[in-house]
Amino acid sequence: MIETIKDYRVAIYLIMIIASLIVIFPHPGPSGLETNLQFGLDLSGGSWIQLEYGAAVVTFKNTMPVDQFVSDLSKKLDAEVFLIETDKIEIRKDVSEEELKTIFSGMQTELVAYNKGVTKETAEDIKRILENKINSLGTRDAKIYVITGLNGVSRYVRLELAGVSMTQAQEIVGKQGKFEIRVVTTANQSEHVVFGDVIESVANPAQNPPNSNNWGVSFALTPDGAEQFRQAAIEHGAVKDPNNHNLVMILDGKTVYSAPLSAELAGSLQARASPNLIASTGVGESGKEDAKLLEIHLRNGALPVEVRIAGSGSVSAELGDQFKLWCLLAGIFALIAVGIAVFVRYHEPGIVLPMVMINASEIIILLAITTFFMQLDLATIAGLIAVLGTSIDQLVIITDEILHEGKVPSPNLYMKRLKRALGIIIASAATIVIAMLPLALMDLSSLRGFAIITILGVLVGVLVTRPAYGRIIMAILSK
Amino acid sequence: MKLCIIPLIVLIISLGLLGMTYMETGLPIQPGLDFKGGIAVSIITDESVDDIKASFADYPLVSVNEGINQGKYLKFGPMDDDKVRTLTSAIESKYKDAKIDHIGSSFGKTLQDQAMLALIMSFIGMAIVVFVIFRSFVPAAAVVISAFADMVMSAGAMNLLGIQLSLGTTAALLMLIGYSVDSDILLTSRVLKRKGKFDEKIQGAFHTGFIMTTTTFGAIFAMWVISWIGGIQIIWEISTVLLIGLIFDFMNTWLTNAGILKWYMTEGKGKLSTSQRGGN
Repeated sequence: MIETIKDYRVAIYLIMIIASLIVIFPHPGPSGLETNLQFGLDLSGGSWIQLEYGAAVVTFKNTMPVDQFVSDLSKKLDAEVFLIETDKIEIRKDVSEEELKTIFSGMQTELVAYNKGVTKETAEDIKRILENKINSLGTRDAKIYVITGLNGVSRYVRLELAGVSMTQAQEIVGKQGKFEIRVVTTANQSEHVVFGDVIESVANPAQNPPNSNNWGVSFALTPDGAEQFRQAAIEHGAVKDPNNHNLVMILDGKTVYSAPLSAELAGSLQARASPNLIASTGVGESGKEDAKLLEIHLRNGALPVEVRIAGSGSVSAELGDQFKLWCLLAGIFALIAVGIAVFVRYHEPGIVLPMVMINASEIIILLAITTFFMQLDLATIAGLIAVLGTSIDQLVIITDEILHEGKVPSPNLYMKRLKRALGIIIASAATIVIAMLPLALMDLSSLRGFAIITILGVLVGVLVTRPAYGRIIMAILSK
Repeated sequence: MKLCIIPLIVLIISLGLLGMTYMETGLPIQPGLDFKGGIAVSIITDESVDDIKASFADYPLVSVNEGINQGKYLKFGPMDDDKVRTLTSAIESKYKDAKIDHIGSSFGKTLQDQAMLALIMSFIGMAIVVFVIFRSFVPAAAVVISAFADMVMSAGAMNLLGIQLSLGTTAALLMLIGYSVDSDILLTSRVLKRKGKFDEKIQGAFHTGFIMTTTTFGAIFAMWVISWIGGIQIIWEISTVLLIGLIFDFMNTWLTNAGILKWYMTEGKGKLSTSQRGGN
């Protein structure tokens, strides 16, 4: 017994099991048994929405000066076009490859590559905007995944919102924030100046003046908006006494920016309206971060590209709880079925018990691994049970290899046979890993979890539990 | 080679079924909602199927399936974003315990392309690994052919039973590659690397292989029953295809693969390589 435990294979296995139980940490909580397991939306309740960008990343070839090409194209498409590399542009409009080819041929330009989507940088911006939007609505438990293809172009973004119905989720994504600029009149009173609808355009955060360490966001108002702005500023004293009459920007009832008019602007506003404004946010890194945030607010939470709902889904929390219970039952019954089948074959509790134990402990180790970087959803659980199926197969291979002709061999021969059995197992493990690899690398939404858990299951089996089983069964049989 | 006749007939029938479906839909297996786009809804309700059909008459309702436990599974065809919104809010206000999944048609197309690519890449990857392991053409080819037959036959059975290709069933077909190769590798290793008479070695391997298939079958069967009772569509789909695949795998391992191996050992050059390798 002691000797078996001292064997490094068995020792590693035992340590893994204990560590796994500690990681999963089952403990009684207010709502029954609690664990550290992370459940996905379909088990915990909530909604997901996958958005597709109406934009394209295009590689081109021509002899025209690049700047001119970009501005010409932007006019022709009536869309924002950004140069990413010397021969690559991002078009923020839903334009098909055929349409673009026709336009390009009119500009003596060759279309080298066309990918639907946006660059990684734009995708990160969009993620930030969405995060902000969700946070401002008080929905804290949200996850946003930027889905980037192997070519570096992101076509989709996926939002997962726990405890939110699909209708609510659609509203959150579709809803624009309410943006308002007000002017302070007395200590804590303010008056309305303009709403967000008069903001015509917003620039990216920039140093102001250029190359200084001062950050800010410039934005432009419509002519009417600029006039309203001027009149309110004069009427409420912001022009005469800027420092006591801050201009305040409010998004959905929350103050996001507050600063006085600059002396320069205050002076000029007296004479005429000024449509181009700059909101300074301060110096250095913090100024830059604030500027980024303010840009989002000025855009009213609108995304830089149009999005369409590519897919969405939801599960109610109650149904999620039921699914959890059914999954647990499926796992238990699968183990029982395995136990019965093995018992019918071997009639030997000394073999059947370790087999079922090893099988169950593989599941425990896998569950513990999932807590670090993935969520348990229905597909992942199906993967777990499928792993249970291959794992028992391989335990049977080991047992039968060793018990060749029904006899327990000498320790020497035993190890030789165990090695041979492990050889077969490694071969079939390698094929399963290869077969599942494409699924794990691609982003086929829910199936990624299934593939990853299968690969992990095979690895845990080959590296930890099956070698340990070989030793344990030897100790039991040679008694 | 006599052994291979039954699997060969089944394979030809299956290929015929896949071909027919291909002519009809452009895909060897009927694409389901995940790939064509549409909305799937799981609800628990005591309403009858006709009631449900009546209350969703305004929407492109394709089918209503009943589970036990008053579980219902509704499938809708593709519709535009506004209609999706009205439908989801209608469902959410009427049924508290609903699971809704909506896939837009263009997203479905992307998923379908990727799923096909995954199937092809997996198969090629598996074939390479098998050839690397055995380094001898006929036995490796026998394993690859059996795995291919498993997938084709399971796909044929899916068409016959009206099980559509979804994300779940794609995963199951990929998993079948793994399951299939498991018993094939056992058989081939036993035959090539052990001493003894061919028939005895096959018998020994069969003994082990039989128990392997029954235990796996037991585990998946438990998953199938529970997911059916619990109305968990994706797990039910995965386990259904796995069960079908396991049955075909059994046939292909012990008829197709064993048949090819037998021919290889008795008439091919297998005799030579066994004596060279010796057994251990």
